Amino acid sequence: MTYEDRLEAFNARIEAGDKIEAEDWMPDDYRAGVLKFIEMHANSEIMGAIPERECLPSAPSLQRKMSLCAKIQDEVGHSQLLYRVAEDLGKSREAMYEDLVNGRSKFHNVFHYPTRHWGDAALIGWLIDGAALVTQASLLDSSYAPYTRVLKRICAEEQLHLRHGEYITLELALGTEHQRWMFQDALNRWWLAIIHFFGPRSNPDKDLLLRWKVKTRTNEQQREEFLDRYVPKVLELGFTFPDPVPYYDDTTGHWAVREEDIDWAPLEAIKRNEGPETARRLEWRRRIYEDHRWVRETLAEAALHAA
Amino acid sequence: MEIYEVFRRAGHKDPFEHVGAVTAPDPELALLMAKECFFRRAEGEHLWVVRRRDIHSLKDESLLRLPEGKEYRFPHAYRDVITLRKRARERSATPVEAS
Repeated sequence: MTYEDRLEAFNARIEAGDKIEAEDWMPDDYRAGVLKFIEMHANSEIMGAIPERECLPSAPSLQRKMSLCAKIQDEVGHSQLLYRVAEDLGKSREAMYEDLVNGRSKFHNVFHYPTRHWGDAALIGWLIDGAALVTQASLLDSSYAPYTRVLKRICAEEQLHLRHGEYITLELALGTEHQRWMFQDALNRWWLAIIHFFGPRSNPDKDLLLRWKVKTRTNEQQREEFLDRYVPKVLELGFTFPDPVPYYDDTTGHWAVREEDIDWAPLEAIKRNEGPETARRLEWRRRIYEDHRWVRETLAEAALHAA
Repeated sequence: MEIYEVFRRAGHKDPFEHVGAVTAPDPELALLMAKECFFRRAEGEHLWVVRRRDIHSLKDESLLRLPEGKEYRFPHAYRDVITLRKRARERSATPVEAS
């Protein structure tokens, strides 16, 4: 069978809604695309732990500190599940860690921004996890089967995180004027980044991952679902949105933001790894990676003796 | 002869699950026997057999029990989110007094 024949058979499988396993034949572009996508997801889970970790000292009680710790632990756990799935596509975990700390691979835009106070913990836990859940739930039907199996567990835990995030948001919403300000202030700083989170409008003709059904929905479909789900909830708590201000579109029956109101420049900078906190967060990651080198070496030594 | 534990995956979205065991002289025959014992009606899309002596099991199952005071790992710890939501909604309808 020539490469072209195999590619044709593969495309037919995808077209029929078949799922691809790690040991199946797949085109090089499919393998590389899925690997890059899952690696970026894994990087984001591990980098996402850092801004939340920064919020820990401002937790208003020991109980909230412990529950946020448990949530961060889940996020790091997600990165471990995802790196394992990515490894089966042919890149070692060592290489993925090295590429991350040396700025050769990417992580999600929202983790490139600073945190200021406990209001950020509420906002990240509710709206950023909410945005992530919209994306992740849309991937549950991805054509790459091993990814969907770990996403099942990840989504279940993210549901809990969403609850946790909404809970601390509501505590602030029901609190003093200053506590209400804390959430509003976080929303003002994070809103544009959340809109960016879903990415610019998808181009289905160019996007191989959409064509191969690795991704099942376009960026704008996901952004719309997020706005429909969360904008009314935020408004009914009495909070307001900064630019780009969402509006209800009577003709479509959906919440939307005007494309011309979105300033994409900050996202472009982040894509070059030049976000406000990129360098500092990667430095943190590198330090953790170096500090833990002895653990990896000790385990490798034990494996040598067991063999 | 060896005992082989049999695992099947019902569909691509499912995890492998344990369905039973067979006795066989080698992995090839174990797979054949597992197929005949457990897959006569297309019960799955993939099949594994694993030698029972290659499975390591936890010696102390009590280690899997959660220590006290970690309720925040479960959704029920946040169940009053619904009453809080209602209260927050009512409050936002009335002007907030400066503290």
